Amino acid sequence: MELVRPPRPEAVLALPGTGHRSATGGIGGTDGVAVARAVPGTVRADLGEVFRLEYPRVVGVAARVLGSRDWAEDVAQDVFLSFARSSVPAGEARGWLSVAAAHTALNLLRSGRRRASREETAAAADDAVAPDVADAVVTLEERRRVRAALARLPRKQAVALVLRHSGMGYADVAAALDLSPGSVGTTVRRAESALRKELDRHASSD
Amino acid sequence: MRHPTEGVLRRLVDEPAGVSDADRQHVADCPVCLVGLAAAREDAAAVGAALHSDGAASPDPAAAWQRLSTALPARAATPAPAAPRRRRGLLHRPAAAVLAFVVVLSGAGVAAANDWLPIFRTEQVAPLEVSSTDLVALPDLTAYGDVELTGDGGPHAVPDAAAARAETGLDVPEVGALPEGVAGEPTYQVVGELSGVFTFSAEKAAQAAAASGESLPPLPVGLDGSRVRLTAGPGVAAVWSQPSGVPTLVVGRAVAPSASSSGVPFETVRDFLLSLPGLPEDLAAQLRTFTADGSTLPIPVPADQVETSQAEVGGLPATVLESHDQALAAVVWVDEGVVTLVGGSVSTEEILAVAGDLG
Repeated sequence: MELVRPPRPEAVLALPGTGHRSATGGIGGTDGVAVARAVPGTVRADLGEVFRLEYPRVVGVAARVLGSRDWAEDVAQDVFLSFARSSVPAGEARGWLSVAAAHTALNLLRSGRRRASREETAAAADDAVAPDVADAVVTLEERRRVRAALARLPRKQAVALVLRHSGMGYADVAAALDLSPGSVGTTVRRAESALRKELDRHASSD
Repeated sequence: MRHPTEGVLRRLVDEPAGVSDADRQHVADCPVCLVGLAAAREDAAAVGAALHSDGAASPDPAAAWQRLSTALPARAATPAPAAPRRRRGLLHRPAAAVLAFVVVLSGAGVAAANDWLPIFRTEQVAPLEVSSTDLVALPDLTAYGDVELTGDGGPHAVPDAAAARAETGLDVPEVGALPEGVAGEPTYQVVGELSGVFTFSAEKAAQAAAASGESLPPLPVGLDGSRVRLTAGPGVAAVWSQPSGVPTLVVGRAVAPSASSSGVPFETVRDFLLSLPGLPEDLAAQLRTFTADGSTLPIPVPADQVETSQAEVGGLPATVLESHDQALAAVVWVDEGVVTLVGGSVSTEEILAVAGDLG
């Protein structure tokens, strides 16, 4: 915790719950609670290897939620920092990282602070010049709607959906979310049905 | 044979090897299931396209590793660039925010009042054990209302102890004998009073609950729009560093956190926040135990990183924090509304010796 964190001496003043203001105005000694980040010697030894193996996947999970690589990479940083000081067994790292990425990205999405990203701007440009390239082309507005709907889904449905669409197998999703393997399909199906309705509802009212 | 579930149909879309032969055969021969399968396939494709992100295809692991390394403790021994700052602000540490708020809220009980009313004044410190996964799972406080911050722009350096005292009104503790490995003159940092006001919003809370698939607990009368104000500081710190710039000893003192509320009874706000979806039950229960003593400031401590114990400093109860690798130790105590911390990369015994000898 910050109280025992020498590299940033000012942190000694950031007691948890002190209303310490962070760089962009977060409340409540937030840094002070993000504890033990900088305790030397406590970074897990397998961090480098896990990072090399899993970083693209973690970014991919967050990017599906946020639609932005920049923001997804920010989320990945946060997730790996948490992982670095965790004692999650190596065998469970992939599931833990993926679930953490999904939750963190969904929290960010739900907080409504996400800005229009470069990717979205580019997507908007693509929409303008080539609106009917293929069935898979989705408009910027549709992307926004589906992400708004994603933020409103029951959290477990949203996470299962994102993990599956990030390429994680049913058994792995089940293990990561503590679901029975048989219920993963049902959970994902319900999420997709809800999101599809959201897309169709707006499409029919356009 | 009865029809396979919609979950089985969904799995047939993209992982058919995971579906039993009997189910596959049934679906192949069943008009009803074939319709369901087609619908599942269409929905999956539409949602997959909508969630597709080109940005996911080409992350830059080398640059990301570099960035992560600068934020990691092991690399912090070299002067660390300020790169993580943007990331911290970006995510607003939502889990941490709500925890910090709940921590302060859990501190006291008080009767109803119509104006700002002191509800919490730190007089003790106690560790509160949390895990990293709890922090990830906690909800964003701003999802439940509006947060407004006022006060100082943040810590800044001052030339000497006299300047620190002039700015804050606090005496900088004088250290007697420095521990082995700590030498030279300290630098001084000060921070002014900081405060934040949280205004509860029933509408936001309902949306947040719905988003996480939970139902909002019954809303107490008068809670919507009620406010809680948190205040802390000013504070001062003296920092001893190695020539490389890495601090080895920090002695800090600050006016301890306090909280006040308007409108509804404090317990109402506290209990409602504690009942919100997303707060792990064991953590909430642990927080509730602090309410019996209205003056305790719980410090969230990661159980897997830091050990805590109790000690005395100058006859006052103090909390000792020690990293499991014994590389760092700190002691925190509160005396008449002022919290003092001594911490550094020295042993617990040395920290306690410095703390007990402060002038």
